[in-house]
Amino acid sequence: MLDAYVTALGMVLDPYVLFVITASAIYGLVVGCIPGLSATMATALLVPLTFFMPPVPAIAAIVTTSTMAIFSGDIPGCLLRIPGTPASAAYVDDSYQMTLKGKPELALGIGLWFSVIGGLFGTAVMMVASPAIADFALGFGSVEFFWIVMLGLGGAVFIGSSTPLKACIALLIGLLIAMVGMNNPAGQPRFTFDSTEMLGGVSLIPMMVGMFACSEVMRHMISGGGAPQVVVRKIGPIFANMWRLTKQYPWQLLRGSALGTVIGIQPGSGADMAAWMSYAMSKRLSKEPEKFGTGHPEGLIEAGASNNSSLAGAWIPALVFGIPGDSITAIAIGVLMMKNMAPGPTIFVNNPENVYALFLVFVIANLVMLPLGWAIIKVATRVLTVPRKVLMPIILLFAIVGSYAINNSLFDVGLMLAFGVLAFVLEENDFPVAPVILGVVLGPLLEEYFINSMIKSDGRLIGLVDRPIAAVLAAITVTIVGWTIIASVRGAKAPELRAEG
Amino acid sequence: MKFNDLFAGMLFLAVAAAVAFAARSLPNPSEQPLGPSAFPLILSGLLGLCAAILAVNGARATPRGPLFALADWARNGGTLLRLLLVPAAVVFYILCADPLGFLLTAALILAVLFLAGSVRPLHAFALACIAALVIHSLFYLGLGVQLPWGPLEPFRW
Repeated sequence: MLDAYVTALGMVLDPYVLFVITASAIYGLVVGCIPGLSATMATALLVPLTFFMPPVPAIAAIVTTSTMAIFSGDIPGCLLRIPGTPASAAYVDDSYQMTLKGKPELALGIGLWFSVIGGLFGTAVMMVASPAIADFALGFGSVEFFWIVMLGLGGAVFIGSSTPLKACIALLIGLLIAMVGMNNPAGQPRFTFDSTEMLGGVSLIPMMVGMFACSEVMRHMISGGGAPQVVVRKIGPIFANMWRLTKQYPWQLLRGSALGTVIGIQPGSGADMAAWMSYAMSKRLSKEPEKFGTGHPEGLIEAGASNNSSLAGAWIPALVFGIPGDSITAIAIGVLMMKNMAPGPTIFVNNPENVYALFLVFVIANLVMLPLGWAIIKVATRVLTVPRKVLMPIILLFAIVGSYAINNSLFDVGLMLAFGVLAFVLEENDFPVAPVILGVVLGPLLEEYFINSMIKSDGRLIGLVDRPIAAVLAAITVTIVGWTIIASVRGAKAPELRAEG
Repeated sequence: MKFNDLFAGMLFLAVAAAVAFAARSLPNPSEQPLGPSAFPLILSGLLGLCAAILAVNGARATPRGPLFALADWARNGGTLLRLLLVPAAVVFYILCADPLGFLLTAALILAVLFLAGSVRPLHAFALACIAALVIHSLFYLGLGVQLPWGPLEPFRW
């Protein structure tokens, strides 16, 4: 294992990889900082570029961009009371109040410093836990994997969503989109409308770019809005009080990091849910809950650490089982598959150095966040005023060229538009978009595991539950689904949380 | 465009029926018990079930409201036009990228979208040219993507 880490370190310290990390760090920080541009969109727009890179820099770009964007979403939340990404929404009141009290540097410093610590905590858990889980999962057969995918999809639809029925429909649409093409156990072309472009299935990159970038541009067109007014002109020393706060609130930091990691691991809930739950927990366990929402650092520390640690946590099921925890990891899994690094327990046996390289990228990304994050905070007041009426058309053009570039195909540009319109219409009608992506990424796997399990058991459904681990996984899945159905029949309102997307 | 749940449910029910119909006629050359049509059939069944529940919920909701209503933004002609500019721009790119070349098409699209966002004309024109050149360099020089040149072919670099 040490050998593999040494090899991995060599791969990561390659000048080209370091350049990619730095460039995507700056890109992620800038995009995350601009209100209205989400971390998911930043990641999706980057995917066409990663198509042209070798595996390690490609995955480094995705990891670095998403880590940075989640942190820098705190900046507009603090300065304008507009969270840059959904993950910053939970504590925007506290950080904005600090700005009003003339201490924006305190709120931003907390966001940066505790994001880094939370991110490193989640990374450490990932480095220790995922090889061990992978080792355990090596004995899994198609039945176990079928239920793991079902659990992942069930969690995504039924836990993270306020409208389970609509999320379920979105997921099924995604799964049906995944059926297009010849990529199925029988090798038969399905739903291709006799088009040769569709034989390989719906290309993931134009689809993701369309759903997360093109639809975002369309939404901007109906909301309008120019550059926001920034009241703050000067930001003081950022790291001044951080050590004191770390010593003052060690438990909050640890609790936030731990809860964030767990929520990240659990499929279907991402950074935004981690932040909300940690903020709520911090308030409930605090000695001074009345101060929350008035510019109190405690909740900021706990939730700020939590949303960054969840990002690393989400990679554990993504790497070990190929199950994305949220839409960003769904995009990342798509990139891994494109690079012939399909995730699963065997990746730790076949390509350990690539996996360790990914771990190291996480560590480096969190470390470079300190100086680069400091720099973006210093120029934040200028970045925030970049007019979106200029940015959005450029993003659209980028989405068009990015979709075209991978196959030199105008058909893919049309596909990008079609999925952009689909995502826009779905969101307008309160259908969440993230389950569609999960369905498309996991659809082929789910079918393969299902058909293989059925062939092994001669087509008897009992074959799906007659092995102990499979039976346990099935029971958990059925419980989650059944509990949600019962709760919604009783008219109980599901928690007001939405899957990130 | 806001759909009533009843309308959305019926729409997805129709999708499910169409998928099931198409899946049934898929050939199964290797005569397996679970051929290529099995999984799509299961999925379309589940989709039909969810869509039916959604439709029933929508029908029982009171007051039911119209089957679909235009959102506020859709009633404002200017906003609607701005929204339609996005698909129009993409379609324009698909149709014109080859005959006009990337640089001209991209600059035109950007200029129109900037103007629609009420960027000042001179700025819009200059920004469109600069942004088109930067994106072109990134993909053409940086990644080696063969973007079409169109009438600018003699000036190719």
